Amino acid sequence: MMAYDKPLPDLENEVEAPHWQAAKQGRLSIQRCSQCGYLRWPPETICPECLTRGGDWVDLKGEGEIWSFAVYHRAMNPVFSDEVPYAVAMVRLTEGIEMIGRIAGPPDQVRIGQKVRAVFVPVTDEVTLVQWEPSA
Amino acid sequence: MDLRAKTAIVGVGNTAQGTLPGRSANEIAVEAIQEALADAGIEKKDVDGLITCRNLRSREGIDEQIGHLMGLNPKYSATLDYGTGNFSLHLGVMAILTGLASTVVLVYGTNQRSAKADFSVAVGGGADMAAIAGLAHVAGPAAMAFRRHQHLYGTTEEQLGWVSVAQREWAQMNPLAIFKQPMSIDDYMAMDYMVAPLRRPDLTMISDGGVAIILTSAERAVDHPKKPAYILGIAERTALRAYQNLENLMRPWLGDVAKQLWSSSGLSPKDIDALYIQDATSVWVLQMLEWYGFCEVGEGGPFLAEGRTRPGGSLPLNTNGGQLSESYMWGWLNLAEGVRQLRGECGPRQVANAEVVLDCSTHDFLKGAATILSSHQ
Repeated sequence: MMAYDKPLPDLENEVEAPHWQAAKQGRLSIQRCSQCGYLRWPPETICPECLTRGGDWVDLKGEGEIWSFAVYHRAMNPVFSDEVPYAVAMVRLTEGIEMIGRIAGPPDQVRIGQKVRAVFVPVTDEVTLVQWEPSA
Repeated sequence: MDLRAKTAIVGVGNTAQGTLPGRSANEIAVEAIQEALADAGIEKKDVDGLITCRNLRSREGIDEQIGHLMGLNPKYSATLDYGTGNFSLHLGVMAILTGLASTVVLVYGTNQRSAKADFSVAVGGGADMAAIAGLAHVAGPAAMAFRRHQHLYGTTEEQLGWVSVAQREWAQMNPLAIFKQPMSIDDYMAMDYMVAPLRRPDLTMISDGGVAIILTSAERAVDHPKKPAYILGIAERTALRAYQNLENLMRPWLGDVAKQLWSSSGLSPKDIDALYIQDATSVWVLQMLEWYGFCEVGEGGPFLAEGRTRPGGSLPLNTNGGQLSESYMWGWLNLAEGVRQLRGECGPRQVANAEVVLDCSTHDFLKGAATILSSHQ
Protein backbone atom coordinates (compact mmCIF):
# COMPACT_ATOMS: atom_id res chain seq x y z
CA MET A 1 0.00 0.00 0.00
CA MET A 2 1.25 3.53 -0.83
CA ALA A 3 2.39 5.77 2.00
CA TYR A 4 -0.54 7.81 3.39
CA ASP A 5 0.66 11.24 4.55
CA LYS A 6 -2.70 12.67 5.74
CA PRO A 7 -4.16 12.96 9.23
CA LEU A 8 -4.63 9.55 10.81
CA PRO A 9 -6.26 8.44 14.05
CA ASP A 10 -4.10 7.66 17.04
CA LEU A 11 -4.61 3.93 17.37
CA GLU A 12 -2.93 4.04 20.78
CA ASN A 13 -5.79 6.19 22.06
CA GLU A 14 -7.83 3.67 24.04
CA VAL A 15 -10.96 5.81 23.95
CA GLU A 16 -11.18 5.76 20.16
CA ALA A 17 -9.51 2.42 19.37
CA PRO A 18 -12.68 0.29 19.28
CA HIS A 19 -14.11 2.54 16.55
CA TRP A 20 -11.07 1.97 14.34
CA GLN A 21 -10.90 -1.74 15.08
CA ALA A 22 -14.53 -2.03 13.97
CA ALA A 23 -13.95 0.06 10.85
CA LYS A 24 -11.17 -2.31 9.84
CA GLN A 25 -13.75 -5.08 9.99
CA GLY A 26 -16.29 -3.10 7.98
CA ARG A 27 -18.49 -1.99 10.88
CA LEU A 28 -19.51 1.53 12.02
CA SER A 29 -19.27 1.39 15.79
CA ILE A 30 -19.83 4.11 18.39
CA GLN A 31 -20.34 4.25 22.14
CA ARG A 32 -23.61 3.73 23.95
CA CYS A 33 -23.87 4.49 27.64
CA SER A 34 -24.27 1.29 29.64
CA GLN A 35 -26.43 3.17 32.16
CA CYS A 36 -28.74 5.50 30.22
CA GLY A 37 -28.35 4.25 26.65
CA TYR A 38 -27.25 7.62 25.22
CA LEU A 39 -25.44 7.20 21.89
CA ARG A 40 -22.34 9.34 21.84
CA TRP A 41 -20.07 10.55 19.08
CA PRO A 42 -17.19 11.43 18.98
CA PRO A 43 -15.79 8.94 21.53
CA GLU A 44 -15.36 10.17 25.08
CA THR A 45 -14.56 8.66 28.47
CA ILE A 46 -17.76 9.80 30.21
CA CYS A 47 -21.42 9.85 29.19
CA PRO A 48 -22.39 13.53 28.78
CA GLU A 49 -25.97 12.78 29.84
CA CYS A 50 -25.61 10.77 33.06
CA LEU A 51 -21.83 11.00 33.67
CA THR A 52 -21.32 7.25 33.80
CA ARG A 53 -17.75 6.33 32.90
CA GLY A 54 -16.96 4.02 30.01
CA GLY A 55 -19.71 2.68 27.79
CA ASP A 56 -20.49 -0.15 25.40
CA TRP A 57 -19.58 -0.17 21.72
CA VAL A 58 -22.49 -0.85 19.41
CA ASP A 59 -22.68 -1.18 15.64
CA LEU A 60 -24.87 1.27 13.76
CA LYS A 61 -26.67 0.54 10.51
CA GLY A 62 -24.24 2.77 8.67
CA GLU A 63 -27.10 4.61 6.96
CA GLY A 64 -28.15 8.21 6.97
CA GLU A 65 -28.71 11.29 4.84
CA ILE A 66 -26.64 14.30 3.98
CA TRP A 67 -27.45 17.29 6.22
CA SER A 68 -25.00 19.52 4.36
CA PHE A 69 -21.61 19.35 2.69
CA ALA A 70 -18.59 21.42 1.67
CA VAL A 71 -16.59 20.96 -1.51
CA TYR A 72 -12.88 21.65 -1.20
CA HIS A 73 -11.60 23.18 -4.43
CA ARG A 74 -8.55 24.42 -2.57
CA ALA A 75 -7.01 22.01 -0.08
CA MET A 76 -6.94 24.20 3.04
CA ASN A 77 -4.66 21.53 4.48
CA PRO A 78 -2.07 21.05 1.69
CA VAL A 79 -1.73 17.31 2.30
CA PHE A 80 -5.13 16.87 0.63
CA SER A 81 -4.06 18.71 -2.56
CA ASP A 82 -4.02 15.55 -4.66
CA GLU A 83 -7.71 14.92 -3.93
CA VAL A 84 -9.39 18.24 -4.83
CA PRO A 85 -12.17 18.70 -5.54
CA TYR A 86 -13.49 16.55 -2.72
CA ALA A 87 -16.61 16.74 -0.58
CA VAL A 88 -16.94 16.42 3.17
CA ALA A 89 -20.45 15.98 4.54
CA MET A 90 -22.30 16.21 7.80
CA VAL A 91 -24.32 13.00 7.77
CA ARG A 92 -27.47 12.63 9.90
CA LEU A 93 -27.53 8.95 10.79
CA THR A 94 -30.77 7.02 11.08
CA GLU A 95 -29.93 6.61 14.76
CA GLY A 96 -30.20 10.41 15.15
CA ILE A 97 -26.62 11.55 15.59
CA GLU A 98 -24.57 13.69 13.24
CA MET A 99 -21.18 12.56 11.94
CA ILE A 100 -18.63 14.30 9.74
CA GLY A 101 -17.34 12.16 6.91
CA ARG A 102 -15.75 12.19 3.50
CA ILE A 103 -17.88 11.48 0.47
CA ALA A 104 -16.32 8.59 -1.44
CA GLY A 105 -16.16 9.56 -5.10
CA PRO A 106 -16.60 12.80 -7.03
CA PRO A 107 -18.52 15.68 -5.39
CA ASP A 108 -20.65 16.80 -8.33
CA GLN A 109 -23.58 14.44 -7.64
CA VAL A 110 -23.79 15.18 -3.91
CA ARG A 111 -26.91 16.94 -2.63
CA ILE A 112 -28.57 17.73 0.70
CA GLY A 113 -31.08 15.08 1.75
CA GLN A 114 -29.36 12.34 -0.25
CA LYS A 115 -29.45 8.89 1.37
CA VAL A 116 -25.96 7.59 2.01
CA ARG A 117 -24.34 4.50 3.45
CA ALA A 118 -21.01 3.96 5.13
CA VAL A 119 -18.16 2.49 3.10
CA PHE A 120 -14.90 1.36 4.59
CA VAL A 121 -11.75 2.57 2.88
CA PRO A 122 -8.39 1.13 3.95
CA VAL A 123 -5.69 3.84 3.77
CA THR A 124 -2.84 2.04 5.57
CA ASP A 125 -2.25 -1.52 6.68
CA GLU A 126 -3.60 -0.56 10.11
CA VAL A 127 -6.22 2.11 9.42
CA THR A 128 -9.54 1.89 7.60
CA LEU A 129 -11.55 5.13 7.34
CA VAL A 130 -15.32 5.42 7.31
CA GLN A 131 -16.58 7.30 4.25
CA TRP A 132 -20.00 7.76 2.70
CA GLU A 133 -21.53 6.99 -0.71
CA PRO A 134 -25.00 7.41 -2.18
CA SER A 135 -27.21 4.44 -1.37
CA ALA A 136 -29.99 5.06 -3.88
CA MET B 1 -27.26 43.02 38.86
CA ASP B 2 -28.05 46.13 36.88
CA LEU B 3 -24.87 46.81 34.93
CA ARG B 4 -26.31 49.44 32.62
CA ALA B 5 -23.80 52.28 32.15
CA LYS B 6 -21.79 51.27 35.21
CA THR B 7 -18.62 50.79 33.16
CA ALA B 8 -17.18 52.48 30.09
CA ILE B 9 -14.40 52.14 27.55
CA VAL B 10 -12.17 55.19 27.83
CA GLY B 11 -9.21 54.14 25.71
CA VAL B 12 -8.60 52.17 22.51
CA GLY B 13 -5.28 51.53 20.83
CA ASN B 14 -3.93 49.43 18.03
CA THR B 15 -0.69 48.67 16.24
CA ALA B 16 -0.21 48.57 12.48
CA GLN B 17 -1.89 45.51 10.94
CA GLY B 18 -0.71 42.96 8.42
CA THR B 19 2.84 41.69 8.61
CA LEU B 20 4.97 42.75 11.59
CA PRO B 21 8.06 40.54 11.23
CA GLY B 22 10.65 40.07 13.94
CA ARG B 23 8.35 40.79 16.87
CA SER B 24 6.79 38.46 19.40
CA ALA B 25 3.06 38.44 20.02
CA ASN B 26 3.70 39.81 23.49
CA GLU B 27 5.78 42.73 22.18
CA ILE B 28 2.95 43.60 19.81
CA ALA B 29 0.50 43.43 22.74
CA VAL B 30 2.63 45.87 24.74
CA GLU B 31 2.65 48.38 21.89
CA ALA B 32 -1.13 48.17 21.65
CA ILE B 33 -1.40 48.77 25.41
CA GLN B 34 0.83 51.85 25.12
CA GLU B 35 -1.44 53.24 22.40
CA ALA B 36 -4.56 52.61 24.49
CA LEU B 37 -3.05 54.18 27.62
CA ALA B 38 -2.14 57.29 25.63
CA ASP B 39 -5.66 57.42 24.16
CA ALA B 40 -7.11 57.21 27.68
CA GLY B 41 -4.72 59.88 28.95
CA ILE B 42 -3.23 57.65 31.64
CA GLU B 43 -0.01 55.79 32.45
CA LYS B 44 0.52 52.14 33.21
CA LYS B 45 0.56 52.80 36.96
CA ASP B 46 -3.08 53.89 36.65
CA VAL B 47 -4.35 50.43 35.68
CA ASP B 48 -4.94 47.79 38.32
CA GLY B 49 -6.36 45.06 36.11
CA LEU B 50 -4.93 43.17 33.13
CA ILE B 51 -6.84 40.75 30.90
CA THR B 52 -5.00 39.06 28.05
CA CYS B 53 -5.71 36.41 25.40
CA ARG B 54 -3.60 33.39 24.76
CA ASN B 55 -2.67 33.05 21.09
CA LEU B 56 -4.55 30.28 19.36
CA ARG B 57 -1.53 28.41 18.04
CA SER B 58 1.21 29.37 20.51
CA ARG B 59 1.85 29.84 24.20
CA GLU B 60 2.09 33.63 23.95
CA GLY B 61 -0.41 36.08 25.33
CA ILE B 62 -0.48 34.88 28.95
CA ASP B 63 -1.09 37.58 31.59
CA GLU B 64 2.04 36.53 33.50
CA GLN B 65 4.19 37.12 30.43
CA ILE B 66 2.64 40.44 29.40
CA GLY B 67 2.43 41.80 32.96
CA HIS B 68 6.09 40.95 33.45
CA LEU B 69 7.09 42.48 30.12
CA MET B 70 5.17 45.68 30.97
CA GLY B 71 6.43 45.93 34.53
CA LEU B 72 2.92 45.65 35.96
CA ASN B 73 1.77 44.22 39.30
CA PRO B 74 -1.97 44.70 38.83
CA LYS B 75 -4.40 43.78 41.60
CA TYR B 76 -6.25 41.53 39.20
CA SER B 77 -5.13 39.68 36.10
CA ALA B 78 -6.46 36.86 33.94
CA THR B 79 -5.95 35.20 30.59
CA LEU B 80 -8.70 33.91 28.34
CA ASP B 81 -7.88 30.97 26.17
CA TYR B 82 -9.91 32.51 23.40
CA GLY B 83 -10.61 36.13 24.14
CA THR B 84 -12.50 37.76 21.35
CA GLY B 85 -13.09 41.36 22.30
CA ASN B 86 -16.44 40.63 23.90
CA PHE B 87 -15.38 37.76 26.14
CA SER B 88 -12.44 39.77 27.51
CA LEU B 89 -14.59 42.87 27.86
CA HIS B 90 -17.22 41.02 29.89
CA LEU B 91 -14.56 39.69 32.25
CA GLY B 92 -13.34 43.27 32.68
CA VAL B 93 -16.86 44.47 33.45
CA MET B 94 -17.18 41.77 36.10
CA ALA B 95 -13.81 42.66 37.64
CA ILE B 96 -14.82 46.30 37.97
CA LEU B 97 -18.38 45.70 39.22
CA THR B 98 -17.11 43.29 41.88
CA GLY B 99 -14.38 45.65 43.03
CA LEU B 100 -11.53 43.37 42.03
CA ALA B 101 -10.15 46.20 39.92
CA SER B 102 -11.04 49.79 39.08
CA THR B 103 -9.36 50.33 35.69
CA VAL B 104 -8.61 47.34 33.48
CA VAL B 105 -6.53 47.05 30.35
CA LEU B 106 -7.66 44.35 27.92
CA VAL B 107 -5.32 43.29 25.16
CA TYR B 108 -4.88 40.99 22.20
CA GLY B 109 -1.60 40.80 20.32
CA THR B 110 -0.51 38.27 17.75
CA ASN B 111 2.28 37.52 15.30
CA GLN B 112 0.37 34.62 13.78
CA ARG B 113 0.97 35.71 10.19
CA SER B 114 4.74 36.14 10.51
CA ALA B 115 4.97 33.05 12.73
CA LYS B 116 3.06 31.09 10.06
CA ALA B 117 0.53 29.75 12.52
CA ASP B 118 -1.25 26.70 11.13
CA PHE B 119 -4.91 27.52 10.49
CA SER B 120 -5.46 24.48 8.30
CA VAL B 121 -6.35 22.46 11.35
CA ALA B 122 -9.95 21.57 12.03
CA VAL B 123 -11.77 23.44 14.81
CA GLY B 124 -14.30 22.73 17.52
CA GLY B 125 -15.30 19.59 19.39
CA GLY B 126 -14.50 16.41 17.46
CA ALA B 127 -11.69 18.17 15.64
CA ASP B 128 -9.63 15.00 15.25
CA MET B 129 -12.38 13.23 13.34
CA ALA B 130 -12.93 16.32 11.17
CA ALA B 131 -9.23 16.53 10.34
CA ILE B 132 -9.13 12.88 9.28
CA ALA B 133 -12.07 13.48 6.92
CA GLY B 134 -10.30 16.49 5.37
CA LEU B 135 -12.62 19.07 6.93
CA ALA B 136 -9.70 21.49 7.25
CA HIS B 137 -9.95 25.18 8.29
CA VAL B 138 -13.07 26.97 9.50
CA ALA B 139 -14.01 27.38 5.81
CA GLY B 140 -15.31 23.80 5.75
CA PRO B 141 -17.94 24.00 8.47
CA ALA B 142 -18.83 27.54 7.36
CA ALA B 143 -19.43 26.27 3.82
CA MET B 144 -21.67 23.53 5.21
CA ALA B 145 -23.62 26.04 7.29
CA PHE B 146 -24.17 28.31 4.28
CA ARG B 147 -25.18 25.46 1.98
CA ARG B 148 -27.74 24.38 4.56
CA HIS B 149 -29.03 27.98 4.69
CA GLN B 150 -29.34 27.92 0.90
CA HIS B 151 -31.24 24.64 1.09
CA LEU B 152 -33.66 25.84 3.76
CA TYR B 153 -34.28 29.41 2.60
CA GLY B 154 -33.15 29.70 -1.03
CA THR B 155 -30.30 32.03 -0.16
CA THR B 156 -27.95 32.63 -3.10
CA GLU B 157 -24.19 32.95 -3.34
CA GLU B 158 -24.65 36.44 -4.76
CA GLN B 159 -26.66 37.47 -1.71
CA LEU B 160 -23.88 36.20 0.55
CA GLY B 161 -21.38 38.05 -1.64
CA TRP B 162 -22.85 41.35 -0.48
CA VAL B 163 -21.30 40.77 2.95
CA SER B 164 -17.79 40.98 1.56
CA VAL B 165 -18.59 43.59 -1.08
CA ALA B 166 -20.20 45.96 1.43
CA GLN B 167 -17.35 45.54 3.90
CA ARG B 168 -14.82 46.23 1.14
CA GLU B 169 -16.65 49.48 0.40
CA TRP B 170 -16.33 50.48 4.05
CA ALA B 171 -12.66 49.43 4.13
CA GLN B 172 -11.84 51.83 1.33
CA MET B 173 -12.52 54.65 3.80
CA ASN B 174 -10.34 53.11 6.54
CA PRO B 175 -6.57 53.80 6.39
CA LEU B 176 -5.90 50.87 8.74
CA ALA B 177 -7.56 48.30 6.45
CA ILE B 178 -5.30 45.81 4.69
CA PHE B 179 -7.66 45.04 1.78
CA LYS B 180 -8.85 48.18 0.02
CA GLN B 181 -8.85 47.33 -3.69
CA PRO B 182 -12.34 47.80 -5.14
CA MET B 183 -14.48 44.67 -5.44
CA SER B 184 -17.89 44.66 -7.12
CA ILE B 185 -20.46 41.91 -6.75
CA ASP B 186 -19.53 40.83 -10.29
CA ASP B 187 -15.87 40.62 -9.25
CA TYR B 188 -16.95 38.50 -6.30
CA MET B 189 -19.03 36.12 -8.39
CA ALA B 190 -16.20 35.74 -10.92
CA MET B 191 -13.82 34.40 -8.28
CA ASP B 192 -13.06 30.70 -7.96
CA TYR B 193 -14.37 28.68 -5.07
CA MET B 194 -12.07 27.99 -2.16
CA VAL B 195 -14.42 25.67 -0.31
CA ALA B 196 -17.68 25.73 -2.25
CA PRO B 197 -19.97 27.51 -1.91
CA LEU B 198 -17.43 29.98 -0.37
CA ARG B 199 -14.87 32.10 -2.21
CA ARG B 200 -11.69 33.86 -1.11
CA PRO B 201 -13.45 37.08 0.05
CA ASP B 202 -15.72 35.04 2.33
CA LEU B 203 -12.73 34.10 4.51
CA THR B 204 -10.40 36.26 6.57
CA MET B 205 -6.69 36.38 5.88
CA ILE B 206 -4.41 35.82 8.84
CA SER B 207 -2.67 38.98 10.10
CA ASP B 208 -0.28 40.22 12.75
CA GLY B 209 -1.30 43.07 15.00
CA GLY B 210 -2.50 44.14 18.39
CA VAL B 211 -5.47 45.93 19.94
CA ALA B 212 -5.97 47.14 23.51
CA ILE B 213 -8.94 48.60 25.37
CA ILE B 214 -9.06 50.55 28.65
CA LEU B 215 -12.19 49.90 30.71
CA THR B 216 -13.11 51.73 33.89
CA SER B 217 -16.09 52.60 36.07
CA ALA B 218 -18.61 55.20 34.93
CA GLU B 219 -17.57 57.45 37.83
CA ARG B 220 -13.95 57.47 36.71
CA ALA B 221 -14.76 57.58 32.99
CA VAL B 222 -15.52 61.28 32.94
CA ASP B 223 -11.95 62.05 34.09
CA HIS B 224 -10.52 60.72 30.83
CA PRO B 225 -10.08 63.00 27.80
CA LYS B 226 -12.17 61.08 25.24
CA LYS B 227 -15.93 60.65 25.25
CA PRO B 228 -16.71 57.44 27.21
CA ALA B 229 -18.38 54.49 25.50
CA TYR B 230 -20.72 53.16 28.18
CA ILE B 231 -21.56 49.46 28.40
CA LEU B 232 -25.37 49.24 28.32
CA GLY B 233 -25.77 45.48 28.11
CA ILE B 234 -23.87 42.22 27.83
CA ALA B 235 -24.85 38.62 27.15
CA GLU B 236 -23.16 35.29 26.55
CA ARG B 237 -24.09 31.71 25.77
CA THR B 238 -22.10 28.52 25.20
CA ALA B 239 -22.65 25.37 23.19
CA LEU B 240 -19.80 23.40 24.70
CA ARG B 241 -21.36 20.08 23.70
CA ALA B 242 -20.33 21.03 20.15
CA TYR B 243 -21.27 18.32 17.63
CA GLN B 244 -23.47 16.58 20.20
CA ASN B 245 -25.82 19.51 19.57
CA LEU B 246 -27.70 18.66 16.39
CA GLU B 247 -27.54 21.36 13.70
CA ASN B 248 -24.79 23.05 15.71
CA LEU B 249 -23.24 24.57 12.58
CA MET B 250 -26.26 26.88 12.30
CA ARG B 251 -25.50 28.07 15.85
CA PRO B 252 -29.15 28.59 16.83
CA TRP B 253 -28.04 29.28 20.40
CA LEU B 254 -26.90 32.72 19.22
CA GLY B 255 -30.59 33.53 19.33
CA ASP B 256 -30.41 32.94 23.09
CA VAL B 257 -27.57 35.46 23.41
CA ALA B 258 -29.76 37.94 21.59
CA LYS B 259 -32.80 37.28 23.80
CA GLN B 260 -30.76 37.81 26.94
CA LEU B 261 -29.14 40.93 25.51
CA TRP B 262 -32.35 42.62 24.39
CA SER B 263 -34.37 41.68 27.46
CA SER B 264 -31.70 42.72 29.96
CA SER B 265 -30.89 46.01 28.22
CA GLY B 266 -34.44 47.01 27.31
CA LEU B 267 -33.19 47.80 23.81
CA SER B 268 -34.04 46.29 20.44
CA PRO B 269 -32.43 46.05 16.99
CA LYS B 270 -34.05 49.31 15.90
CA ASP B 271 -31.99 51.16 18.53
CA ILE B 272 -28.70 50.11 16.93
CA ASP B 273 -26.96 52.78 14.85
CA ALA B 274 -24.02 50.62 13.75
CA LEU B 275 -23.54 46.88 14.02
CA TYR B 276 -20.31 44.93 14.42
CA ILE B 277 -20.21 41.19 13.77
CA GLN B 278 -17.06 39.19 14.19
CA ASP B 279 -16.52 37.82 10.71
CA ALA B 280 -14.04 34.97 10.50
CA THR B 281 -16.23 34.07 7.54
CA SER B 282 -18.99 36.00 5.77
CA VAL B 283 -21.41 33.26 6.85
CA TRP B 284 -21.12 34.44 10.45
CA VAL B 285 -22.49 37.84 9.40
CA LEU B 286 -25.48 36.21 7.71
CA GLN B 287 -26.15 34.06 10.79
CA MET B 288 -25.88 36.84 13.33
CA LEU B 289 -27.97 39.34 11.36
CA GLU B 290 -30.73 36.80 11.70
CA TRP B 291 -30.19 35.46 15.21
CA TYR B 292 -29.89 38.98 16.66
CA GLY B 293 -33.18 39.90 15.02
CA PHE B 294 -32.13 42.46 12.41
CA CYS B 295 -34.20 40.36 10.01
CA GLU B 296 -36.18 37.14 10.27
CA VAL B 297 -34.28 33.84 10.28
CA GLY B 298 -33.94 32.91 6.61
CA GLU B 299 -34.29 36.50 5.36
CA GLY B 300 -30.62 37.44 5.66
CA GLY B 301 -29.88 36.92 1.97
CA PRO B 302 -32.41 39.43 0.58
CA PHE B 303 -31.61 41.80 3.49
CA LEU B 304 -27.95 41.89 2.44
CA ALA B 305 -28.68 42.11 -1.29
CA GLU B 306 -30.84 45.20 -0.69
CA GLY B 307 -27.63 46.98 0.28
CA ARG B 308 -28.71 47.82 3.81
CA THR B 309 -25.27 47.16 5.28
CA ARG B 310 -23.34 49.21 2.68
CA PRO B 311 -22.18 52.80 3.20
CA GLY B 312 -25.34 54.89 3.12
CA GLY B 313 -27.51 51.89 3.99
CA SER B 314 -29.97 51.70 6.87
CA LEU B 315 -27.77 49.36 8.98
CA PRO B 316 -24.07 50.26 8.79
CA LEU B 317 -22.28 46.97 9.46
CA ASN B 318 -18.57 46.46 10.13
CA THR B 319 -17.77 50.01 9.10
CA ASN B 320 -14.05 49.30 9.55
CA GLY B 321 -14.25 46.69 6.79
CA GLY B 322 -14.49 43.94 9.38
CA GLN B 323 -12.04 41.12 9.57
CA LEU B 324 -12.72 40.27 5.94
CA SER B 325 -11.19 43.55 4.70
CA GLU B 326 -9.53 45.33 7.64
CA SER B 327 -7.59 42.73 9.65
CA TYR B 328 -8.16 39.42 11.43
CA MET B 329 -8.03 40.49 15.08
CA TRP B 330 -10.58 38.14 16.73
CA GLY B 331 -13.15 40.91 16.62
CA TRP B 332 -11.06 43.35 18.66
CA LEU B 333 -10.85 45.92 15.87
CA ASN B 334 -14.60 45.68 15.40
CA LEU B 335 -14.97 46.64 19.07
CA ALA B 336 -12.43 49.46 18.69
CA GLU B 337 -14.29 50.76 15.64
CA GLY B 338 -17.57 50.79 17.54
CA VAL B 339 -16.00 52.97 20.24
CA ARG B 340 -14.47 55.30 17.63
CA GLN B 341 -17.81 55.64 15.88
CA LEU B 342 -19.47 56.62 19.16
CA ARG B 343 -16.77 59.27 19.59
CA GLY B 344 -17.23 60.56 16.05
CA GLU B 345 -13.62 59.89 15.09
CA CYS B 346 -14.17 57.95 11.88
CA GLY B 347 -13.76 60.61 9.19
CA PRO B 348 -15.27 59.70 5.80
CA ARG B 349 -16.81 56.47 7.13
CA GLN B 350 -18.36 58.14 10.18
CA VAL B 351 -21.97 57.06 10.74
CA ALA B 352 -24.02 60.21 11.36
CA ASN B 353 -25.34 60.46 14.92
CA ALA B 354 -23.97 57.07 15.98
CA GLU B 355 -25.06 56.79 19.61
CA VAL B 356 -25.65 53.08 20.15
CA VAL B 357 -23.61 50.23 18.67
CA LEU B 358 -23.78 46.46 19.05
CA ASP B 359 -20.74 44.19 18.92
CA CYS B 360 -21.37 40.46 18.42
CA SER B 361 -18.76 37.75 18.47
CA THR B 362 -18.36 34.02 18.57
CA HIS B 363 -15.76 31.45 19.46
CA ASP B 364 -16.27 29.13 16.51
CA PHE B 365 -19.05 26.64 17.32
CA LEU B 366 -18.71 26.86 21.07
CA LYS B 367 -19.59 30.32 22.39
CA GLY B 368 -21.34 33.55 21.57
CA ALA B 369 -21.15 36.96 23.22
CA ALA B 370 -22.46 40.46 22.59
CA THR B 371 -22.17 43.94 24.02
CA ILE B 372 -24.20 47.12 23.53
CA LEU B 373 -22.18 50.33 23.84
CA SER B 374 -23.41 53.90 23.85
CA SER B 375 -22.12 57.43 24.04
CA HIS B 376 -24.96 58.04 26.53
CA GLN B 377 -25.53 56.58 29.99
